[in-house]
Amino acid sequence: MADEEPKNMSMFPLDAKSYHIMHEIGSGVSGVVYKAVCIPMNSAVVAIKAIDLERSRANLDDVRKEAKVMVLLSHPNILRAHCSFTVDSQLWVVMPFMAAGSLHSIISSSFPDGLPEPAIAIVLKEILSALAYLHDQGHIHRDIKAGNILVDSDGSVKLADFGVSASIYESHPSFQWCPSSSSSFCNDMAGTPYWMAPEVIHSHVGYGIKADIWSFGITALELAHGRPPLSHLPLSKSLMMRITNRFRIEDSHYKNDKEKKKKKFSKAFKEMVASCLSQDPSKRPSAEKLLRHPFFKNCRSVEYLVKNMLQAVPSMEERFKDMSINSDSNSPIVKVRRVSGWNFNEDVLEMDPVFPTENDEKCTINCVQHHGEEMEDKACCPDSIVVEVNRINAKEGEESPKDVCASPPNSTAVPKQLLIPNLVSLLSSLDVQRVMVKNVLACCGGMAVDEEKLRDQREQQLLGVVQRLQRTVDELNIQLQQELRRNAHLEAALDCIKKKGSAEEGNESELNCA
Amino acid sequence: MKGLFKSKPRTPAELVRQARELLIYIDLNGPSREGKREEKMAELSKTIRELKSILYGNSESEPVSEACVQLTQEFFRENTLRLLIICLPKLNLEARKDATQIVANLQRQQVHSRLIASDYLEANKDLMDILVSGYDNMDIALHYGAMLRECIRHQSIARYVLESEHMKKFFDYIQLPNFDIASDASATFKELLTRHKSTVAEFLSKNYDWFFAEFNSKLLSSPNYITRRQAIKLLGDMLLDRSNSGVMTRYVSSKDNLMILMNLLRESSKNIQIEAFHVFKLFAANQNKPAEIVSILVTNRSKLLRFFSNFKLEKEDEQFEADKAQVVKEIAAL
Repeated sequence: MADEEPKNMSMFPLDAKSYHIMHEIGSGVSGVVYKAVCIPMNSAVVAIKAIDLERSRANLDDVRKEAKVMVLLSHPNILRAHCSFTVDSQLWVVMPFMAAGSLHSIISSSFPDGLPEPAIAIVLKEILSALAYLHDQGHIHRDIKAGNILVDSDGSVKLADFGVSASIYESHPSFQWCPSSSSSFCNDMAGTPYWMAPEVIHSHVGYGIKADIWSFGITALELAHGRPPLSHLPLSKSLMMRITNRFRIEDSHYKNDKEKKKKKFSKAFKEMVASCLSQDPSKRPSAEKLLRHPFFKNCRSVEYLVKNMLQAVPSMEERFKDMSINSDSNSPIVKVRRVSGWNFNEDVLEMDPVFPTENDEKCTINCVQHHGEEMEDKACCPDSIVVEVNRINAKEGEESPKDVCASPPNSTAVPKQLLIPNLVSLLSSLDVQRVMVKNVLACCGGMAVDEEKLRDQREQQLLGVVQRLQRTVDELNIQLQQELRRNAHLEAALDCIKKKGSAEEGNESELNCA
Repeated sequence: MKGLFKSKPRTPAELVRQARELLIYIDLNGPSREGKREEKMAELSKTIRELKSILYGNSESEPVSEACVQLTQEFFRENTLRLLIICLPKLNLEARKDATQIVANLQRQQVHSRLIASDYLEANKDLMDILVSGYDNMDIALHYGAMLRECIRHQSIARYVLESEHMKKFFDYIQLPNFDIASDASATFKELLTRHKSTVAEFLSKNYDWFFAEFNSKLLSSPNYITRRQAIKLLGDMLLDRSNSGVMTRYVSSKDNLMILMNLLRESSKNIQIEAFHVFKLFAANQNKPAEIVSILVTNRSKLLRFFSNFKLEKEDEQFEADKAQVVKEIAAL
């Protein structure tokens, strides 16, 4: 089904009439993905991504580059467009239909706690082979994540969505495509924030192919646990922690009693992921090198995926239907809610639609539970790393009241149904705070003592600590703002120089010709 | 490691010579004698890949300027570029992409602070004819298109293409049903009409009549949304450029042009409306409006004023608001 020889592309007709749209299988900010049949080609099944050019935030030049990339890449693990053409103000990209949908959708419907390790190895190996090809071609994907990994019914795995990919051979850097509709913070950044590498956040350092390796590591964690690390945190905090912190495969960010008992990962896997998540991009191995890592040595064939993963998964149609039904009641307030992690799925190949309200609520509640358990865990094992994590968590705790305070004024005029989620999140963040305070107390001097004096003293200490942490958070915030501003300046300066450069070049060649 | 087992590492110039020999072989020998030809093909792909990594560097090393100079000199000493362009349809996809990147890179390589690629193309302008005709062949259109855009970075080459018969073909290429090819042609068209200011101004004033007749009828009045949207944007870019002020004055004095623009203002597409406004404002701001323009504006005054009172951008934009106020003032005063 997904067999694509370069010559096939000319066979697909370039008009809407030749395709019969069956139903929607996914949607994103810029458009919708349909399952369709191509009538003149024996009703071959295809996926059509319909991008609304009128609404799309990408400028036409970016759309052109994406279409070009998708036509010129040819690799068994890369989803290649059959053809593309415009239908009124829509761009239709006709692609092979990947019957099992995205891994994100597979995970959320059937493997909420992550995939078994052999399946992870197969998927990652296929993706690495795609990445090695892409990087060799001088392309950076910039949005590696489970939502962009598609699986067909025969178990074949393909990397999709080149909406934000960049070519290091193209001279004009057009990195402005904003993947999010609501966060001005992301204006200069491409990719989906939870998967984003630190040097992409520090965007003045520039992008390199090693940023893809980072996102690949995060995707490995996502496949292993069912979600990317830090995804329970609000985005800006997740970004901050990315800069200051390190991940490990069994990181406390995931720890959860149930999971801990069940999940055991091989040493090779942990080591492989750790190498991808090195803060220093130059220390991350290339895709080529990763393919030779022992973790992939005894990797099984894709048939394993068919037998062990795909059989457990409901059809894509059913998955999409479920999501649509669930979302109906809440959809009107989608835009009012704050950003959720999955809301940043710009791609339309993501077979799961994004419904922030639903997910968000669940997410907040989950987050509280994780926090609670995490904290108790930590209290009984005074390990240095643990303390560090606690400190960062405590910082986070300091910030949450602000978020909460900000929301009530907006919601005063809102009906009950709208208020309830807000109140739930208020309650949960209060819970989080309570746990935090308890925890910091514990850290400061073991379990609480009854004596009033000591307690007062501790409270003073605690206040001091809290204030210091607050200051650190503020300082980091300021630094971040400064970095962003400096980046903007630098970019403006660069533009200026470029313009001057090209003007001079123009003049020069004019002289030459005269 | 690899170096240890290689018999002798070849110099950039030797690699170019080898590529040329292989290209000559491929060019002369048809698909007969499959085995031998395939072997040569594989060797050629490999050589092309090596040339690319000299020019662009690879994961281990940055490009070395001395090697780039040697390669460039050897490349243009003989007809390697021509052979590469002619043989491109015979190469496989990966070799085509590599070749395209090589050609692109060579246009910017300086030898003794001279762009020798420009001199070569100057003497071989017919290569542009081959590259432009690539848009007729969807297999190679994107490769030739990318090469062409790089070649017209040289002003004299851009002038050649502008003044050739090819310019007329672009009006059709832009509307090809295949989006990647049509948008590539459109990018080249835009580059031709905006990059070299003095050449463009000269071209537009010399070819005003046929060019804008085609532009209005084929592009601005196209049934195709994307064609209209790209065309109105390009028109704005051209007319608002100071070097084209003569052409602009002429354009905004024509009643027919005004009518087309006013129809574009009525489009349901906000993007097209906004771009159309940037051209329409020139008609309104013209201090020497011909009588027929004034009469159209007066006849439609109330409609226009009503339209502009509701015409807003999603984001606030001071410049836009100022322009709009100016246009409203001009129309109200007529």
